[in-house]
Amino acid sequence: MDIKITDKALRHFLQTKADPETISNKVSLCGPTFDRVHKENGQFIYDIEIITNRIDTASVQGIAREASAILNQQGITAKLTNDPYRGNISFDKFFSKTFAFDIQDKSLTPRFVAVSFENVSVKDSPDNTKELLQLCGERPINNIVDITNELTLLYGMPCHAFDLDKLAPQKLTLRQSKKGEIIKTLDNQICNLKGGDIIIEDGANRIVDLSGVMGGAVAEIDAHTKNILFIVPVYNPQKVRKTSLYLQKRTIASQIYEKQPDPEMCLPTLSKAIQLLKERSQARPSSSVFDFYPAKESSKTISLDTNWLNTYVGIEIPNDQIISILDSLGFKTKTENNSKISCTVPSWRHHDINIKEDLVEEISRIYGYFKLPSILPYVNLKPEAKDSILSTESKIKYYLFGKGFNEVFNSSLISRNLIETYELDTKKHLKLTNALSKDYEYLRTSLVPSITQNIKNNQGKVLEPINIFEIANTYHISNKKTPDEISHLVFASTQDYRHTKGILESMLENLFIDNPIFVSTKNKDGFFSENTTADIFVKNEFIGRIGNIKPNILRNMNISTKFVLVEISVPAITKNTSNNRIISPLSEYPEISECITINSNKKIGEIIDTIFSMSNLINKVQYQETYESNHTFKVSFLSTKENLTQKQVDPIKEKILKIFS
Amino acid sequence: MSTNHKKILNDTRKRLVQGLLSVKSINEIDDLNTKFLGRQGEVNQLFKTLPLKGNPEIGKAINELKKFCFEKLSEKTSEVLNANSKEYLDVTVPGIRPSKGSIHPITQAINDIEQIFDKLGFVRRRYPEVETDWYYAEGLNIPKDHPARDDQETFYLDDGVVLTAHTSNGQLHEMEKVKIPPIKMINIGKTYRRQTDATHIPMFHQFEGLIVDKGINISHLIGITDFFAKSFFGNDRVIRLRPHHFQFTEPSFEIDISCGLCNGSGVIEGSPCKICKSGWLELGGAGMVHPNVLKNGGIDPDEYSGIAFGWGVERVFMMKSGKNIPDIRLLYTDDLRFLKQF
Repeated sequence: MDIKITDKALRHFLQTKADPETISNKVSLCGPTFDRVHKENGQFIYDIEIITNRIDTASVQGIAREASAILNQQGITAKLTNDPYRGNISFDKFFSKTFAFDIQDKSLTPRFVAVSFENVSVKDSPDNTKELLQLCGERPINNIVDITNELTLLYGMPCHAFDLDKLAPQKLTLRQSKKGEIIKTLDNQICNLKGGDIIIEDGANRIVDLSGVMGGAVAEIDAHTKNILFIVPVYNPQKVRKTSLYLQKRTIASQIYEKQPDPEMCLPTLSKAIQLLKERSQARPSSSVFDFYPAKESSKTISLDTNWLNTYVGIEIPNDQIISILDSLGFKTKTENNSKISCTVPSWRHHDINIKEDLVEEISRIYGYFKLPSILPYVNLKPEAKDSILSTESKIKYYLFGKGFNEVFNSSLISRNLIETYELDTKKHLKLTNALSKDYEYLRTSLVPSITQNIKNNQGKVLEPINIFEIANTYHISNKKTPDEISHLVFASTQDYRHTKGILESMLENLFIDNPIFVSTKNKDGFFSENTTADIFVKNEFIGRIGNIKPNILRNMNISTKFVLVEISVPAITKNTSNNRIISPLSEYPEISECITINSNKKIGEIIDTIFSMSNLINKVQYQETYESNHTFKVSFLSTKENLTQKQVDPIKEKILKIFS
Repeated sequence: MSTNHKKILNDTRKRLVQGLLSVKSINEIDDLNTKFLGRQGEVNQLFKTLPLKGNPEIGKAINELKKFCFEKLSEKTSEVLNANSKEYLDVTVPGIRPSKGSIHPITQAINDIEQIFDKLGFVRRRYPEVETDWYYAEGLNIPKDHPARDDQETFYLDDGVVLTAHTSNGQLHEMEKVKIPPIKMINIGKTYRRQTDATHIPMFHQFEGLIVDKGINISHLIGITDFFAKSFFGNDRVIRLRPHHFQFTEPSFEIDISCGLCNGSGVIEGSPCKICKSGWLELGGAGMVHPNVLKNGGIDPDEYSGIAFGWGVERVFMMKSGKNIPDIRLLYTDDLRFLKQF
């Protein structure tokens, strides 16, 4: 929550010689952040970001309290003045009530204060009030409404005024709304209530207030208003939040109520209201104060061990300084012994201070985080090897980078349309229940659709070859509550099958994975073309696929670029990678190479396997070329024991030729 | 030495000179070299045929002839080679480069971050992106009806399972994995935020640090942050802590780093710096691990304390790159013309 206050208003509660710049710089480091100090109409304005659990600072007096504590601690004299919590407040009791409140459910309102006024005269506010509201980003309306807004600004306590003559006040009921009930709010909108909202119903069975969010239009103050009902309530935070969220009415009041303002502030605010209404509209209270306060919270006391505090902060803060900091923030302290202070939490901090760690924050921030030293901790961690999957990923990335591949990051969330285009089953995909866009609705089970999209987006823009890759998790529904998240590599290249496969093979070799087996896929599901795709196995384990996308999918996607795709499971290859490469000494003897041409209709892979199986003197079989069904291989022979002669090689060659004849 | 002997030596010399006259290629020179200076060449033959015994001057003369032949042949070799190498090379012709690869800037930033924390002795982890409510919220001290849940801009799946908007779920996982502190880990992963701008990828990356041990305190958080800031952004950068609130830390901080563009002054040439707030850039949140979180992770908060922080990878990358990349979303383009720059 952000607020805007003027320097002039701040100085009503804060006496100091510090200039606005100094106040802003000092307070920002120890309390709420002053985003900006600027000048408007000759006045300094502060834009302040209120820390979410510090609703007590969402007002001029709240900021003043922080500022006085912080400035004093930093050697700048400052004094909190006009503190609403100080001084006795009393109300006259000589009126007969002109309204009756019925509050059955006390969970809806921890405190509800109301007074009626007579002799109201509605007009414009004085100029300085109008100026204050305008500078703080609010619109002056009339003297009565402006008083409610000014009090909220100064004390952080929302309040509201009804035209009493427009109400049927003999029975005002504060209750939860029922589903389908309707209220027209002050902004002239009709709100259809979902039920469970806090509302006030009057004696004529009309809903007159959407409590904590906005008043009802029915009892709006106008130029003819003579009698008003003025309320200073505190509401159930969850209920107000829910209502304001679903109705999209994020009013200042609702933002304050959902953070639980201090019920102890109700009477000081009311007392101020009585004064201002008298000054600005000649109004007089016409009723006694109605004060519903069923369960006043008893104050909390937390025991603080200062030795523990000093270890937790990392520096020694003297006890008297601890006490003076706590005092300046409104805590009551009592020294139990040398290292024990009992701290009573002020009412306005009741919800945010609960444990001793909360006190650490109060003391160390006011002391000044910037005074703490910078120390690297010594942590005696057990040694452990780097995570093997992360390490494989890193090796792959740098290998492909060196081979001219470009890394992309695609979204884990994809559209239903993309899943269906790739002939995948949407039921196997996890779906968001609150997606914001159809483009990002399902968690992907494959990286292929996205990378194909990348090819499409680049076709015609960059010169071929296009080489791209991505490493990311894919998400697979499991029998646990959460899915399996499996790291995958995908790469796509406009180079041909042999070159792309070569890159994959050499990448695997680099990870010390030898002899991956490529088998024509039998998989008919999904996006890989059955005829031009291989399943890849390492030590009989399926690790992924290489091949082409089905032509009909490419046509639907409008992709004319030819490319080959590889998708691999990173854990599957990580399992088979090894850091213990077996290194063999070289043979002292020269190798003999022979070109052999074989006429066969068998697959080239099978022919190579057969050639190898013919003799253990065969060291290498390199595929050269194919012409019709004639395949040429360069076969190398090598012995580790002797110098091979042509006489030893020729019979093996014969044998190879014979087996294929 | 007799005239005859002299003549024999002279004839050999003349034949070489004659031979060299018509020579055009290196091969022909090699042939002449063999013919005259080879093991069985004319010069070596002279040592065998002429009567060296008692005629030391003959030996001397043959050696001189040998030296002469060698010099002449070398001279001719250089001449022929140089003549042949007079082909023209335009040294400014562009080289033929292999295709340009690139490592994505997010990976580069992650690597930098990982290395810095590796140096500090953190172990790198990867914890789930899809998470149950316990690890994501309830176990992190965010009860069911807490407003912080609405602020987290979380995507939901069925059964209260979420797509994580932060990497803090790794905290409880790590406590459960390690069981007994010390803990010192960095969890780097993808995170997702449901933000109203629906036209861009709702995904980014975070790194989450956690240290739990005896005696861990606020000054340690300052130490770690300071080390990271100087290593990642540069020696001249300083950090500051501002009070903040998170449910899973107490105290909580917002950490700022001095702006590199205006050197922390907030002003460039008289006007306010465009990338920072008064000389400071927000790095992200941090704090002392809340005792409830330690308890939920099975660690006794009376015995151990911890620090935790969660910062954005893209954010620190953008902070480092200054104004060169105008929009964080550019990092998620697939336009190779952009990516090849990295």
